[in-house]
Amino acid sequence: MKKTIFLILCYCSILIAQSVDQQNEVNLFSPPNIKKFADYLFCSHDYLRAALEYQRYLSTNHNDTVSYKTAIAYSKIGNYSKAAKLFASIDHQSHLFPDAQLEYYKALFQDEDYFGLRNDFINVDLSNQFVLSPRDKKLFYFSYLFTNDKLPSENKFLSHFEGTDFQRVKDFYSWKEAPPYKSSLVAGILSAIIPGLGKFYVNEYSDGVFAFLAAAALGYLSYTDFKAEHNFRGWVFGGLAAGFYAGNIYGSIAAAQIYNVKIQFDFVNSLKVFLNAKNYFIPEINFCR
Amino acid sequence: MKLFLCIFIFSSTIIFAQTDWQKWGKANYSYAVKDNFHKRDLSFDAKNPARFVLKSLLDSYWFFISDVDGDNCAFSPTCSNFFLQSVSKTNLVQGTLMFFDRFTRDMDFIAKFDFYPRVPDGHFYDPISLYTLNKNEIKYIPPSVIVNNE
Repeated sequence: MKKTIFLILCYCSILIAQSVDQQNEVNLFSPPNIKKFADYLFCSHDYLRAALEYQRYLSTNHNDTVSYKTAIAYSKIGNYSKAAKLFASIDHQSHLFPDAQLEYYKALFQDEDYFGLRNDFINVDLSNQFVLSPRDKKLFYFSYLFTNDKLPSENKFLSHFEGTDFQRVKDFYSWKEAPPYKSSLVAGILSAIIPGLGKFYVNEYSDGVFAFLAAAALGYLSYTDFKAEHNFRGWVFGGLAAGFYAGNIYGSIAAAQIYNVKIQFDFVNSLKVFLNAKNYFIPEINFCR
Repeated sequence: MKLFLCIFIFSSTIIFAQTDWQKWGKANYSYAVKDNFHKRDLSFDAKNPARFVLKSLLDSYWFFISDVDGDNCAFSPTCSNFFLQSVSKTNLVQGTLMFFDRFTRDMDFIAKFDFYPRVPDGHFYDPISLYTLNKNEIKYIPPSVIVNNE
């Protein structure tokens, strides 16, 4: 009986046991603990919560490394304007300042504020606050590929790139200088000569085939109906054939415009993929070793 | 020992018993096919004679043919809606040309998957803004994207 009571007591004590030591209660919201938790979230790639915890820490403390990591966290979750503000707030005396400056340009770049980025570069260059290295100027030159501004000369542009990047950047430059756009006028004329040919010109082959078949089949029906003196049907099919013919010319012009927007979209995407792979030419600091 | 085992099993059963009975409640699913024709705007449009004739023809088509035939157009907006929207946005001539072009693309059953993004109900998204010949209105959306056009 004693053994049973003993076992029941053991079992109950395990069930009702408190996991928190109430005698030595820890203040989980003290600044060092907030920072520890934020660091844990940061290294777990939970950047949204990490940024919020870092901000909570920064409300009572000043720490450049924490500000830097907060900005990185905001950058990772796509809040680039907030990231740029935080990078810009890093003290000039801090050992993180050169990296923060580059990250600031990166944040402006990701926020698609290319004009702001260039103005800032020019101002820094003029003010001689610190010397911009050729590596720093890469983003400055890359921003021209995203806007419709006049490109700098090829030699000047490419002089900042070397090694494996050189050929890739040269290809980007050539694309931007002479984009392989399709002419709406040519597409329209081609479709006027042979229905559907304009769609072939803009790589929409099956649309071109169906446009040709629709115009040709209805035109043929109209012809045979007129020949058989079924004039009403002849006019109906003739009208439809004319509609499809004219609609295809119009559609080819529109398709050329859409094609041009699409290849511009693909170009910008490939630029972004390239820049992401290179981390915008910025060495990444590993805070989670 | 037997008593202890009984108490142990009994208490464990109570502790780990399933209390979330809502989980096992009856689910109210509806398998009815959502019909789109209740959303049709079948009103007359008397802004000008051309629109009156066009809207009347489209209303008749929707009421007597399309709604009876079912949801068969692969695109969103449907071809008839595309026609109405394009005429409203541009003019009768340009809108008609846009409609003929759309109808040709609707016939093409091969390349739709490679060209158009989808809306959540599976239709191919093909708005009129791409075809008004206004370059600023063209917003390219890759085919891999699901567009929420609600």
